[in-house]
Amino acid sequence: MSTNGTEKKWDRRSADTAERMAAAARFIGPGKQFKPEDTVALLEAVIRPGDRVNIEGNNQKQADFLAESLNKVDKSKIHDLHMVQSAVPLPVHLDLFESGIAKKLDFAFGGPQAGRVAEFIRDGKMELGAIHTYLELFSRYFLDLTPKVSLICAYKADKKGNLYTGFNTEDTPTIVEATKFSQGIVIAQVNEIVDELPRVDIPADWIDAVVQSPKPFFIEPLFTRDPALITDSQILLAMLCLKGIYGEYEVKRLNHGIGFLTSAIELMLPTYGAELGLKGKICTHMALNPHPTMIPAIEDGWVQQIHCFGGELGMEKFVAARPDVFFVGPDGSLRSNRAYSQAAGQYACDMFIGGTLQIDKYGNSSTATANRVAGFGGAPNMGSDAHGRRHSTDAWLKCGAEQPTLDRTLGNMPRGKKLVVQGVETFGEGRAPVFVEELDAWKLAKNANLPLPPVMIYADDLTHIVTEEGIAYLNRAPDIEARMAAIRAVAGYTEIGLKADPAETKRLREQRIVMTPEDLGVDRKRADRSMLAARSIQDLVTWSGGLYNPPARFRNW
Amino acid sequence: MALNTLEFHVKIDEGTKSIDKPVHLGVVGSGDMEVLMEPKDLKGAVSIKLVTPVAGFDELWKRVVETFVSETLLGDVHLEINDNNATPAVVLLRLRQAFAEATGE
Amino acid sequence: MPKWNDIQEQSFLESDARARAVGLVDEGTFTELAGPFDRFYSPHLETLGEAVEFDDGIVTGVGKIGKTPVFVISQEGRFIGGSVGEVGGAKMVNTIRLAVEFYDKLVAEHSDLTDEEKPVVVISFETGGVRLHESNAGLLAHAEVMDQLQKARHKVPVITLIGSKVGCFGGMGFVAAATDAIIMSEYGRLGLTGPEVIEQEMGKEEFDSSDRALVFRTTGGRHKYIMGDCNVLVHGKVADFREALGKLAGLPVSEFEKMRRIGSPELVEKQLKLVALAAEMQPKDARDVWAKAGNADAATLDSKPFDEFVASVKRLEV
Repeated sequence: MSTNGTEKKWDRRSADTAERMAAAARFIGPGKQFKPEDTVALLEAVIRPGDRVNIEGNNQKQADFLAESLNKVDKSKIHDLHMVQSAVPLPVHLDLFESGIAKKLDFAFGGPQAGRVAEFIRDGKMELGAIHTYLELFSRYFLDLTPKVSLICAYKADKKGNLYTGFNTEDTPTIVEATKFSQGIVIAQVNEIVDELPRVDIPADWIDAVVQSPKPFFIEPLFTRDPALITDSQILLAMLCLKGIYGEYEVKRLNHGIGFLTSAIELMLPTYGAELGLKGKICTHMALNPHPTMIPAIEDGWVQQIHCFGGELGMEKFVAARPDVFFVGPDGSLRSNRAYSQAAGQYACDMFIGGTLQIDKYGNSSTATANRVAGFGGAPNMGSDAHGRRHSTDAWLKCGAEQPTLDRTLGNMPRGKKLVVQGVETFGEGRAPVFVEELDAWKLAKNANLPLPPVMIYADDLTHIVTEEGIAYLNRAPDIEARMAAIRAVAGYTEIGLKADPAETKRLREQRIVMTPEDLGVDRKRADRSMLAARSIQDLVTWSGGLYNPPARFRNW
Repeated sequence: MALNTLEFHVKIDEGTKSIDKPVHLGVVGSGDMEVLMEPKDLKGAVSIKLVTPVAGFDELWKRVVETFVSETLLGDVHLEINDNNATPAVVLLRLRQAFAEATGE
Repeated sequence: MPKWNDIQEQSFLESDARARAVGLVDEGTFTELAGPFDRFYSPHLETLGEAVEFDDGIVTGVGKIGKTPVFVISQEGRFIGGSVGEVGGAKMVNTIRLAVEFYDKLVAEHSDLTDEEKPVVVISFETGGVRLHESNAGLLAHAEVMDQLQKARHKVPVITLIGSKVGCFGGMGFVAAATDAIIMSEYGRLGLTGPEVIEQEMGKEEFDSSDRALVFRTTGGRHKYIMGDCNVLVHGKVADFREALGKLAGLPVSEFEKMRRIGSPELVEKQLKLVALAAEMQPKDARDVWAKAGNADAATLDSKPFDEFVASVKRLEV
């Protein structure tokens, strides 16, 4: 068909890709391989100014060689790129903006580069699209933020270009699917090229070019917490959580944010959890990275199934030896997948529990500080009530049923609610108060010109706060005044906490909206390290029967 | 830049009780403190001497110690604390532990 | 303070200085000398506005194991890294001095003393050496401790224990090396220059202090046991240290000569042979030396379960 004599074209994207790949063809040999020394030239051939580009930057594995190579391109040829990627943890990710190769960023997690992100936005070196949650960003890969070129990483490729992403599959399938099926270009760096892969995670025809990087990709053990560093205060909080929340609601399906409190809880399932008679009643299904501190609970038979966002260094053999619990491929090694696990965390979990740097007087919380655009990764997905949820579980129904004023919006219709729990000591490092009048996120919004203060978990999603003073059951509060009073009651000696009215706190305790350790029957004197099923990394190795191989930095023998 | 010393008394009206024996508890690690707790005739009051490198938390210290004294009904006791930036939660934990040891409770 | 029975089951690594001091001797026998109620804290820290501790980070006292009087020195790593300043140093010096004076008095008054009735000194190290805030006084204290070790020689055995978080480094590494016997757990570390300082001076290529496996196979208990720097390697409970200490405490003082590292022409010769071996081998890693000692499994020796390690390891002979 033609209109006004001009033929309408429907394959501009693939034609564009074909043209770019033709320009790069001289670098690409059999098996789609190219040489590391040709990387910069190849990138100059396939990328155009203003392109939307993804550098695979998960929170664990990093396409670091391709990122460094992109930073070396001629910026008269390539500039003003729009980077869309889940995390920007490497210095080179920000160097791209310093040099002008990149201009705009849409991301989810800043990590160690959070300070530079804020600085670059303020100085006009970077235009910020938005700070997303993982699922939100992944969703936009398929609608309005689809990458034209993606630079990904895998452990191994074979001679045809098939990839093995294995233990740390993480974001790769999502990025590749969004890019390749919109006729974009996918370039992979791999640690080694082999004759035969353990299994194919990404088929060769979704990949345009492969390079064996000069050194293995950077990966960090982000989810290992050394039990030796867990304090008595964290153990008290863990006791409150187990008795007042896990046990109270019998939470079976959940996600644990990473931190020492959740590690303490994991290590107290076989001890305090067992004493409370909770085995089989809680923590049977989890969306979780393979935390080493889960080893005792797994070995003790608490957990039926775990799906992982990513991997964790040192846990490879343990996970492979527990295929009834973890998702492993036909080759026997874990396949993680951030998108699916985040979806499980949002829709299939009854509870999220994590920590934060600040909670305001209404219950909004954020890890943002005045000069760091840190982002939140997955917490906001899992730490939010999934309004699209329709299946019911006992914990979800109970949490929903406890809301005294649900009828104001739903009439007589019952509805469940996800438990969203923040466990914090009232004062953090350097005696900084966790409970504040106003979040530093407001200052950050001003400093970095953000349209909204970056909030990790909104007050209307938050159902419980646990501190050394006790638990605030915010879901049981009839109105915002009662919520704020309950927050004051557990805010200790912070300025917010000092405003608590003892008479009001007493009423809240009678209504079970606030419960102190004494109300819950938790003996503070028992809060010591003898509660932990493992007190050192070496104990974890012993629990695992030698299957856990801790990274060098965690050894103390 | 010298260390800050804070001295104050706390007295509650209800029937107070002292402790059986002097105790020492705690290590002055980062974010932690030690306390000496000794019986002393103070006409029912509790006297506190606190030494800390951190200035500006006088009111906070008074409130935390008041909480401790009113929950334990302590009287005729002298407390000496060496602090290294302990949070109120840690301060209360150490005071309660010392009290439990001094009274056998 | 936990009960004595509970301390025995505690991890030595996690025990504070006072719990170690109490738990290393027989139940109910420990008497603290210059304890927190005496309030001997550091006047230098006070002037500098730094946090002080009533015992200046060192617990000293006396107790018994069986019939043996035991003079105890126990360092607290959580207080300024266990650093030794003027007050803590004086407490160490005077504890050893008391032990020697007590020995002299006992021997003068009782001609029929058995070996197990003669006193010993035990030092539970957890320190990086001199407290930099009071460097001159701290250095002087190190020298005075060394002087006391010489005075104790052939009279009162001085036994070192290392199994706490900070390890034993800096000037106190020298002090430990000059004692009569060293008992370590695999979590203990002994050295002169600490890992972070080596990295700072020589670069990450030479020594990556964040590589804790490297740090432990260079300074840790297993390596020190192979090298002969430590005489006895024990499991990690307080009771394990106490048991090993009990075995040594009753021995005649002459038996300790064989365990020493320095202090005789023969020992100097042995040390020189070690230096010559190092020059000849040019080892790149501790594992090279383990292999030289006859350990075919040198590559995995540090990952072996503890009991298997102790049962099968070959120690370096020169």
